[in-house]
Amino acid sequence: MSHATLASACAAVLRRDLTLAWRRRGDITMPVLYALIVVTLFPFALGPEDALLQRIAGGVVLLTMLLAMLLALDAMFRSDIEDGSLELLMLSPQPLALMLGMKILAHWITTALPLIVIAPLLAGMLHLPPSVMPVLVYALLLATPLLSLLGAVLVALTAGSRRSGMLLALMLLPLCVPVVIFAAGAVAAAQQGLPWLAPIAWLGAALVMALVLAPLACAAALRIALDA
Amino acid sequence: MANWIPLWVHKLSSPPNFYRFAGVLRPWALALALVLGAIALYGGLVLAPADYQQGDAYRIIFIHVPSAWMSLFIYGVMAVAAFISLVWRIKLAEVVAMESAPIGAAFTFITLVTGSLWGKPMWGTWWTWDARLTSELVLLFLYLGVIGLYHSFEDRRQGARAAAFLAIIGIINVPIVHFSVNWWNTLHQGSTVRILGPSKMSGDMLWPLLTMMAATKFYYIASLFGRVRTDLLSLESGKDWVRQIAEQEGQR
Repeated sequence: MSHATLASACAAVLRRDLTLAWRRRGDITMPVLYALIVVTLFPFALGPEDALLQRIAGGVVLLTMLLAMLLALDAMFRSDIEDGSLELLMLSPQPLALMLGMKILAHWITTALPLIVIAPLLAGMLHLPPSVMPVLVYALLLATPLLSLLGAVLVALTAGSRRSGMLLALMLLPLCVPVVIFAAGAVAAAQQGLPWLAPIAWLGAALVMALVLAPLACAAALRIALDA
Repeated sequence: MANWIPLWVHKLSSPPNFYRFAGVLRPWALALALVLGAIALYGGLVLAPADYQQGDAYRIIFIHVPSAWMSLFIYGVMAVAAFISLVWRIKLAEVVAMESAPIGAAFTFITLVTGSLWGKPMWGTWWTWDARLTSELVLLFLYLGVIGLYHSFEDRRQGARAAAFLAIIGIINVPIVHFSVNWWNTLHQGSTVRILGPSKMSGDMLWPLLTMMAATKFYYIASLFGRVRTDLLSLESGKDWVRQIAEQEGQR
C-alpha cells in the first residue's frame, strides 16, 4: 500500500466532505432559507421605513449570516465523530491541523459561500444602496472564513460533551465581537462615503492570523475533547 | 543549595498539601479582606470629601473600580492557571482556573451593576453602548462560556481541560475587545464621559480606593482557597488523605 502524499490526502479529505455535503443538498439550503426568513422578519419587527432599513441593512445582513453559520457549525464534526472517521483522521500520519483545515474549508464552501451569494439579495431587500454592495461582499468574504475558523475551534472543544448547541453560541459570540465591529464598520463607512479600506484590512489581518493558528488550535482542542 | 523553593512549590501542588496550606491561610486572608474592606469603606464613604462635580454619587467608585480591576486580574490568573494545567497537567492548576471563573464572573457582574447604578444619575441612562461597558459585558460572557463548558462534560478533568483551552483563547480576545475603544469611536460617536483616572485623584480619595483594591485581592484569595478546598475534596474523594480528613472531622 502506497502512502498518500500531503496534497493527495488534503484533496481526499476535501473531496470526501464536499461529496457528503452534495449528497445531502437539502442541508446546504437550510442556512440560506434561515437567513432569508430572519431578514424578512426585520421589516415586520421594525416597520417598513426605507430610511431606517437602509441604515441597519449592513448590520442585519451580517448578524443574520453569523447566526446562520452558528446553526450550521454545530454539525461540523458530529457525523464524523459518530461514525468514527474523525478518530481515523487523528490516527493518520498526515498532520491533523492540515486535515482539519481542509474540513473547515469544505464547511465554509458548503455553508458560507451560498450565504455570501444571497447576501446582495438580502441587503437589497433592506434597500442597501448598490454602491455599498461590493464592500458588503468583501467584508463577508473575509468575515465568514474567520467565523468558520473560530467556530471550528469551539466546536472541537464541545465535541466530547452532550449539550453543545446553546453553549456554542455562548462561547462563540463574545469572540465574534471584533469581527462584527470591523465588518459592520466597513459597511457603515462605505455607506457614509468614508474610506472603508482600514476595517477591511484589519479583517484580512485577523483572517491571516486565524488561518495559521485556528487549525492548530482546532487540532489541540479535538485531542482534548476526545481524549477520554 | 537554594533548591528548597522549587521543592516547596512542587510539594504545594499536591492536593493534600495545598488543602492544608489553603486551610491555614484562608482565615487570615478573609480577616484581612474584611478589615481592609471596612477601613476602605469608612475612608471612602465618610472621610473622603465629596467630588466637586459629581457630589456624593462618585463614591460608588470605591466598589466599582476595584471590582473592575479584579474582573480583569482574575481572568489573567485563570488563563495562566489554565495554561499551566494544559501544559503540565497539574490537577491543582485546573482546579484553580475553574474555581476562579465564578469569582471573576461575580466581580464582572458587580462592575456592570455598580457602573449602571452610577450611570443613571451621571449619564442619565442605565446603559449605553460605550466601548468600555460593552467590553466588560463581553468579558462576562467569556467567563460564562468557560463556566458553561466546564459543566457540560461528564468527566470533570476533561471538562476542565476543554474550558482551560477556551480561557486561553478568550484572553487573546481581551486586548482586542479593549482596543475596540479606539476602533469603535472612530466609526461611531466619541465617548464623552470618562471615569476619573486614579493619578488625577486627590490623596484622600486615592487611599481608600487602593485599600479597597487590596481588600478585594485578599477576598479573592480567601474565596478561591475555600472553593479549591471543597473542590479538591470532591475531586479526590476516593483518595486516602480525604478519608483521613473525613475521619478527623467526624471525630470532632
